[in-house]
Amino acid sequence: MLINAYSKSVYNIALNFFAERDIASDVTQEIFIKVYHNLNKYKEEKNFSSWIFAISRNYCIDYWRKNKKYMINRQELDDNIKAGQPTPEENLIRESEIDGLRKKLARLEPELRLAIILRDIQDLSYQEIAERFSIPEGTVKSRINRARLKLAQAYMQGDA
Amino acid sequence: MSKKCREIELLLSAYVENELSREEAAGISEHLGNCPDCLAKKEKIEELISRLSDLQEEVPFFLKNRLYNIPEIIEKRAPVKLLVFPKWLAAAIGTIILFLNLFYFTNIFPPGNRTLHSFVSSVEKIVVKSGGWIERIKESKELLFFTLFNKKSAEAKSSSRGHEVTGEKGGKNG
Repeated sequence: MLINAYSKSVYNIALNFFAERDIASDVTQEIFIKVYHNLNKYKEEKNFSSWIFAISRNYCIDYWRKNKKYMINRQELDDNIKAGQPTPEENLIRESEIDGLRKKLARLEPELRLAIILRDIQDLSYQEIAERFSIPEGTVKSRINRARLKLAQAYMQGDA
Repeated sequence: MSKKCREIELLLSAYVENELSREEAAGISEHLGNCPDCLAKKEKIEELISRLSDLQEEVPFFLKNRLYNIPEIIEKRAPVKLLVFPKWLAAAIGTIILFLNLFYFTNIFPPGNRTLHSFVSSVEKIVVKSGGWIERIKESKELLFFTLFNKKSAEAKSSSRGHEVTGEKGGKNG
């Protein structure tokens, strides 16, 4: 029940946060282990989706901080590969558009990333996002606008 | 980038999502008509919003299986419950032991030293006595086992002899 209802949401948060399927799978599993461990700590007056999101968010940010060096190195490696002239073989194995967008998204600051994941990927309303983050709606709107601008800028620089 | 462009940037998402008042939206539209940079950003944001919705994926089958097995994983990972021993208590016990050693091995505080020595000697006496009792208990236990074992083995021997005899008799009869 719990897994059927929330696994898609949690997996998509992790996948679009890290832009790596292996990491997303491991992180999703760890998040659900945490959820099971802490089920007795859940207070009914709180929204369950918000509670699971809080666990997911904290875990993703912790994991990101612990492995920041490795992840940034991987991003730089990707940049170096792209910087060279693409050969036909490289063109064949070039990442799909979706993966490219995901990788650009993974370069945003964690909080901006999470906000855009909830709004533009999971299609939540600003009010729902504000509840999940426990912050005012205005702050959510400005975060999402900032995230979209940064993403647009990254694309425009890439296109140039 | 002009000041106006910066102001427009802050409202671009709301403009794209039709969340602004008519006057605000009209002002932005007018600016976008004259500013190719802001127009390009607005178009890119629109494109991104439509493309980002494609990033949603189904949970892979293997991961779902892993998630269904979580209760088992939790059981395996369950930590061994250790006796709760607060740090302050450990520190207090350590300090007391340290002081007792100090009084026992040095003569800083003679009455303390004397009491400790007498206490240790009385403990030693008890240990020696209890050692004697333990040995006696062990001996009596051994005796008990020995008699029981002997009894049993004697019974076993007699029964096996009986079998042998009947077997021999049967053999002879056969």
